[in-house]
Amino acid sequence: MKSIAIGMHLRAEDVQPLAKAVSASNLIVSAIDVDDDQPLSDRDLMLRVADIRAHLLERATFIAVRYGFTFRSTSEAEGKIGSNAPRWRKLLEENRTRVELTLKVPAASPLPKPDRHAFNSGADYMRALHAAKNAAGVDEVFKRAAGQHIASLCVENRWLTRDSSSVELAGLIERDRVPSLAAAGESLKRACPDVPFLLSAPWPLEVFADVDHE
Amino acid sequence: MLITNEEEALRQQLSFTESTIPERISADPEALENGLARLVLSIIELVRRLLEKQALRRMDGGNLTEEEIERLGTSLMKLEEKMTEMKAAFGLEDDDLNLSLGPIKTLE
Amino acid sequence: MAEQETDISLLETLDHLLDRGVVIAGEAVISIGDVDLLYLGLSIVLANVDAIIRTSNKRR
Repeated sequence: MKSIAIGMHLRAEDVQPLAKAVSASNLIVSAIDVDDDQPLSDRDLMLRVADIRAHLLERATFIAVRYGFTFRSTSEAEGKIGSNAPRWRKLLEENRTRVELTLKVPAASPLPKPDRHAFNSGADYMRALHAAKNAAGVDEVFKRAAGQHIASLCVENRWLTRDSSSVELAGLIERDRVPSLAAAGESLKRACPDVPFLLSAPWPLEVFADVDHE
Repeated sequence: MLITNEEEALRQQLSFTESTIPERISADPEALENGLARLVLSIIELVRRLLEKQALRRMDGGNLTEEEIERLGTSLMKLEEKMTEMKAAFGLEDDDLNLSLGPIKTLE
Repeated sequence: MAEQETDISLLETLDHLLDRGVVIAGEAVISIGDVDLLYLGLSIVLANVDAIIRTSNKRR
């Protein structure tokens, strides 16, 4: 028996009976139990977890754990959570009424990848790769429209370049404003009819819980 | 809630090239070797891309020492070099291994 | 999940499940040149590809 970690929550009531609620490091970890030899790369299992996540989110906001983390005991869970617990707890308490949204758009002019042969040092190459990734840009008109229609509904928002071919706006939004996103999306479509984009919500705390993007 | 605009264009960005992970591996010895080579190299290429992506995420964090950045860059360069050698050894082109997944994807 | 879910919706769901969220330390950390990179689950990588390929096959 192993447990697949789904999210970090404040209260067991937020989790049960949708998933198992494991008390660890002053947090509640939501999880489901599977056989020891159950492969994680099982599409149906992944979809089942995604479904549970959606239902958990309806109950209360939580911090999403990247799929694939398992534990076999509470102490193992606590070991893995490590020193993150106080920060996560604070995040959960501060954002009880909020969820995340995602606005994805293909990069306007994806840049070619730097040629490793053009660099003498690993550091120069690494920095060039990083610069190329971050150079992926979005049409300024679209950016303004996204700011006006979508970011304006958010408590906090961040533009991220996840890779060299797409750009993303991650937003933290009050739950009660989520219903107005549909109309906001339509307004954005009207403002920029030729720009392909994808707007999705609600999501648990992901980007705003992730240290890398602070 | 999910809203898309220009879904056709999004789909094209998402256009999946022929699965480079062969779904059936032929029993013909030569095709078998080539099929297996494609499978193995495709997987290694996926791992390479993921490592590259992870390295870029670490760069985003901005907490790396100069030495760490140097090691990351050098390692990525070496990985690419290895991939080039292996592709050449099996007579495979970039296209044979290229998983082009577009902006909405879990890799790259 | 609903049968009529589009493949874009499925991809978006999988992206959020597999490529986001906090990383719990100590799991399958891959080192490159002594610098620990974040969690990398090879089986998850393959699952990504498999799920996406199956989706595209469904579309044809």
